[in-house]
Amino acid sequence: MGMSYRQYLQGARIYGCSRCRTHLATIHSMISRAFNGQHGRAYLFDVVVNVVEGEPADRQMTTGNHTVRDIYCVKCGATLGWKYDRAYEPSQRYKEGKYILERNLLTDVQ
Amino acid sequence: MPEAGPSSIALNIASPKSAVTNGFSPATNGHTNGSLSPTNGVGAAPWKLLSMNGKSASPALARVNLPGSTLYEDSFVDREEFVRLVIQSLRDVGYIESASTLEAESGYTMETPEVSDFRQYILEAQWDEAERALVQLGVAEDEGLWEAKFLISQQKYLEFLEAENTSAALQVLRNELAPSHVDSDQLHSLSSLMMCTDAADLRQRAGWDGASGSSRRRLLTNLQRYIPSSLMIPPRRLSTLLSQAVLYQRSHCLYHNVPLSLTSPNPRSHFSLYTDHHCDREKHFPKATTAILEGHVDEVWAVEWSHCGTRLATAGKDKCALIWRIGPEKDLSTRTYTVDFVLSDHQDAIGYLAWSLDDSILLTASDDCVRMWNTSSGICIRVLKEHTDTVTSLAWLPDGSGFISGGLDRKIILWDADGKRRDTWGTTSIRVTDLAVTPDFSRVVAVGMHYLAPSAAGSTTGSGRSESITPPTGGGGARPNNTASRESENRMLIYDLATKQTEASIRLDGETTSVKISPDSQYALINQAPDEIHLWDLSTCRVVRRFTGQHQGRHVIRSCFGGVDSNFIVSGSEDGNVYIWHRDSGTLLEVLPGHGAGSVNSVSWNPKIERLFASCSDDHTIRIWEALETSERLSSTEEEPEGESNKGKGKSRDTLDGHLDNGSGGVDGAF
Repeated sequence: MGMSYRQYLQGARIYGCSRCRTHLATIHSMISRAFNGQHGRAYLFDVVVNVVEGEPADRQMTTGNHTVRDIYCVKCGATLGWKYDRAYEPSQRYKEGKYILERNLLTDVQ
Repeated sequence: MPEAGPSSIALNIASPKSAVTNGFSPATNGHTNGSLSPTNGVGAAPWKLLSMNGKSASPALARVNLPGSTLYEDSFVDREEFVRLVIQSLRDVGYIESASTLEAESGYTMETPEVSDFRQYILEAQWDEAERALVQLGVAEDEGLWEAKFLISQQKYLEFLEAENTSAALQVLRNELAPSHVDSDQLHSLSSLMMCTDAADLRQRAGWDGASGSSRRRLLTNLQRYIPSSLMIPPRRLSTLLSQAVLYQRSHCLYHNVPLSLTSPNPRSHFSLYTDHHCDREKHFPKATTAILEGHVDEVWAVEWSHCGTRLATAGKDKCALIWRIGPEKDLSTRTYTVDFVLSDHQDAIGYLAWSLDDSILLTASDDCVRMWNTSSGICIRVLKEHTDTVTSLAWLPDGSGFISGGLDRKIILWDADGKRRDTWGTTSIRVTDLAVTPDFSRVVAVGMHYLAPSAAGSTTGSGRSESITPPTGGGGARPNNTASRESENRMLIYDLATKQTEASIRLDGETTSVKISPDSQYALINQAPDEIHLWDLSTCRVVRRFTGQHQGRHVIRSCFGGVDSNFIVSGSEDGNVYIWHRDSGTLLEVLPGHGAGSVNSVSWNPKIERLFASCSDDHTIRIWEALETSERLSSTEEEPEGESNKGKGKSRDTLDGHLDNGSGGVDGAF
């Protein structure tokens, strides 16, 4: 797949991987803080970079059934959250194509 | 060695005047040699010379009358012009009699006696006569007579000063230079030369090499522009024209890859006046794979020849750097490629390599770590950990005294050759993706992603769906979710190496992954996604050439100059081919297939053998490309097995997608 550099974000607040500080998302692309993950609070983002996506799987969430993929840090491989491929509930469709990052796995970076 | 031919011999068929006795002591054309033996007076008759040679040439050599005025009936070349240039050339090299014969037979003289007299006067410092001759030559007042006279007076003034004849110099300054219409600055600087302590000081300060140097001939050259060149032919005119023809042919020789020198005879120079110059693509151009080096167990990202051209360093995703030794055999069937060393201490993939000038040290960059290796023992000499993010570039100084590293942490650091930190640029305005030092030691050229401080990035904190999503910066980065990738700002920064000051900061349109400097330090070659390579003129800061065809989107693709006179540009490509262009025209010459799936990541042209380069690829191999000129095209053995020492070194497969098994999904949430 060739050699590539990680992407670097710009913005007032940048969230990075807590293990290796790889840039992941900015506060500008944050849609909601009202999510929960395995490790507590989680954020929904419109755009997340420097992640590898896993295989899609159907999961029953608190708001219904979803097809999601786990996402991993491109550098250190840490699991960071998931991405929504599909929401079965029409009211949850807004999440499709968006990302969840778990707050406890994030750190502020520059 | 024949002296340069006399130019003061004029033909006078009608009345052969009393022959001048000087005979053969040739006066020069004024440009080829400084020593003078003047012929007295005008018109040494050619047959006099002939007869002195013991031949009894017929005095009445028949003039050949030809119709028309061109060399050939359907040619644009003016016959008189051509013949006069031939006469000049003959005289220059010493074929004096032939020149005179040609003058007699053609009826054209190289120049009139007035011109040769004028040349003589200048070379002999007969200034008054020279000025009078100027008028005789028809230099009119509105055609630069004053300027021409000023040049003569200036020479006169300097010569008086040099001879320490101050009063005469002062006379010239007052009576000739001051009244002329030159600007006062020039006059001031001339008069200030009065203060020079001695002749040597004068010559140094005036940038003038004295009466006995070339200054009079230089003056002649400068005066040339005021005198119609049809009267006074510029020096070595025919040779100048032929040189232009050679340059033209070379610039139109797309596959040009043999040395071609216009100033010194080179046995390998294939240029002949008899035929147009043309390099054979099959013979001179490296487009055949002559070896495939298999030693890496994962993608190969970097390839670099040693300066001596006999060793090759390669490195990549398998965290190893290999040093290969290329056998000296010209015969491709017996040439060997052996792995001298496997450098395997790095913890991460290796993205950059740099040989020291004497090839004794190899630098490798892996993540935020630089290692220095002794290339004769394979031992890691030093580990440099000053960067806080990926080190993307390493460049040795042109004198070998140290090297510069650049990284995505925006740092540029200057190191001594022993690995001690010497200096730093501090934190720059770009995340450096590559940098290079010009061979003339003057500049550092860095490319990378421009960094905007958070305050400058319009900070409206707050949740909710904001309409402005900060564009991700640069990065050929992680592939999956680039759908939202917006315009990002990339820049080229040109630094003065001595002062570290920024000379220029230029916004570039795409992500930059490679920068190389031409051997003449004038140009920077920059790979830029998507799919372009630009050649920048560093003094004007303009793109002078674009090379297109190769594929470059997400990956670090590198290019380089190559071949004789750096006539070629070669680059890797994400489509697995190697691309080669003609540098001056931008013509795509070759798309070389051969590598397997994935990108060709980097290329390196051999610094000693201009018909050989190497490429490295995601297919785990390195290919050697050569011109197959070497007569015997050897049959099947073009794939050289790699040395055995490198197989099966401990390889930890570190793909990131290994663990997908935690089926326990997260919890969800909503607004």
